[in-house]
Amino acid sequence: MKKKQIPHLIRLLFVFLGMNVIWYLLYIVINKSILPNPLDVYASMLHLDGQEIAIHVGYSLFRVFAGVVLALILGLSIGILMGRSPRWNKILDPVVYLTYPIPKIALLPVVMLFFGLGETSKILMIMLILLFQIIISVRDGVKAIPDNTYDVLSSIGADRVEKFWHVTLPGALSVILSTIRISLGTAISVLFFTEIYGTEYGMGYFIMDAWLRMNYSEMYAGIMLFSLVGFILFLSVDYLEHRFMKWRK
Amino acid sequence: MSYSRNKGLEINSLTVEYQEGHLALEQMDLCLPEHSIYTMIGPSGCGKSTLLRAIAGLVQSYTGEIKFNDQSLRKQGTALIGLVPQNYGLLPWKTVHSNIRMAMRISDSGRHTKGQQEQQITSWLTAMGIADLAQRYPLSLSGGQQQRVAIARAFAILPEIMLLDEPFSALDAITREEIQTIFLENWISHPTTTLFVTHDVEEAILLGEKIVVMPSNKEEPPVIIDNPVFQISHEDKRDSDEFFAQTKRIRKVMQEKW
Repeated sequence: MKKKQIPHLIRLLFVFLGMNVIWYLLYIVINKSILPNPLDVYASMLHLDGQEIAIHVGYSLFRVFAGVVLALILGLSIGILMGRSPRWNKILDPVVYLTYPIPKIALLPVVMLFFGLGETSKILMIMLILLFQIIISVRDGVKAIPDNTYDVLSSIGADRVEKFWHVTLPGALSVILSTIRISLGTAISVLFFTEIYGTEYGMGYFIMDAWLRMNYSEMYAGIMLFSLVGFILFLSVDYLEHRFMKWRK
Repeated sequence: MSYSRNKGLEINSLTVEYQEGHLALEQMDLCLPEHSIYTMIGPSGCGKSTLLRAIAGLVQSYTGEIKFNDQSLRKQGTALIGLVPQNYGLLPWKTVHSNIRMAMRISDSGRHTKGQQEQQITSWLTAMGIADLAQRYPLSLSGGQQQRVAIARAFAILPEIMLLDEPFSALDAITREEIQTIFLENWISHPTTTLFVTHDVEEAILLGEKIVVMPSNKEEPPVIIDNPVFQISHEDKRDSDEFFAQTKRIRKVMQEKW
């Protein structure tokens, strides 16, 4: 396990370096202040006020977490309900089917009108984006658990809660994790979008603020930091998968 | 009937209907005395699996009666049932140990302390020869090992009825013989009322006190054959004259009824 991880890390590092080299070459070719030298960007990253950055990152993380957790609670309940009960699936399936293709980001003005410019609308937007993907994948994941998986538990008199806890939830967990992995990228994009209005905190605000002040190296530093946060979130999903999906190997 | 009427598993005119008037079982009667082991063979589609599912309470829509020690099994939880399905029925996301522990916790309702349960798990895994696999996940085990876990689990919950649905059919011949031996040894020390469905005539003779042959025609009653081979010590069974005689006898019944 460990032995495999080391070349993986080295490869990642190589790709990262390669990207920086390309960036540097582009900087030489373009030679304008809108694309600063990567070294300047890293230098300005080091000069950022740590406490201020911590607040921005903290706000962004809080919004992502709140949105993801809300979407998970709702999506899991609805998805499991649809997966386990054919009747509820019949009722809810057309609803999901009709609403799924709506580009949720287009609902941003609506959400803003209803919930104002504050935290609520930001968290709601992230939740909305994730919710439908989670519902659909959880439903399919629960449906994919063969009926006879429940047999032994049923025959020893397990109740609904026990069946849910020992079969349905762990059976759906793998799809939940892969859905989170896929939708996390979207969630971070939406986060950026919602942070350019009505707030003075968050990575999105930080980047746009630097952009307005035409402080490009700080803007790029913000983008790099924002990516780093995304990368760390990705790693934590990886960790969860490693922790809970041991049985697959 | 020679044995006591109200002890053991009793099935009276059991009819199970699958969708649209198709009958899986029709007016079936069968009696298993308490602490006996019957093996059952029958052609596919004769309703063997359905019978097990009905006894286990997994099929609820039947007419007739299934009783254990005079109590109807229609209500789940009346008698504790140890089920060993053909696909082993292990939860892949739980280790061997926690598969068994979960079953014990659900079925036990606080009779044993945690320490006693742990001890039980260890001793059953040892009895099945898989003590070293306790922390492994089922998908990393061979079919034979998984089946041992499933049997350990079925014994560990100390069931009143044990139901096995072609448990060894997916195993290779050598593994199957090993597990048959282990299973029988453990059954003899814990004689649970057991119905063992198989499609293998030899297995039926090796493991059953009596052998139930299901006819392909559902209106006919099952044929119950006494099995003198059961009294012979297990390692001598295959070479005994009784074994050959019994094989012949059952094949004859099968030819007539299938």
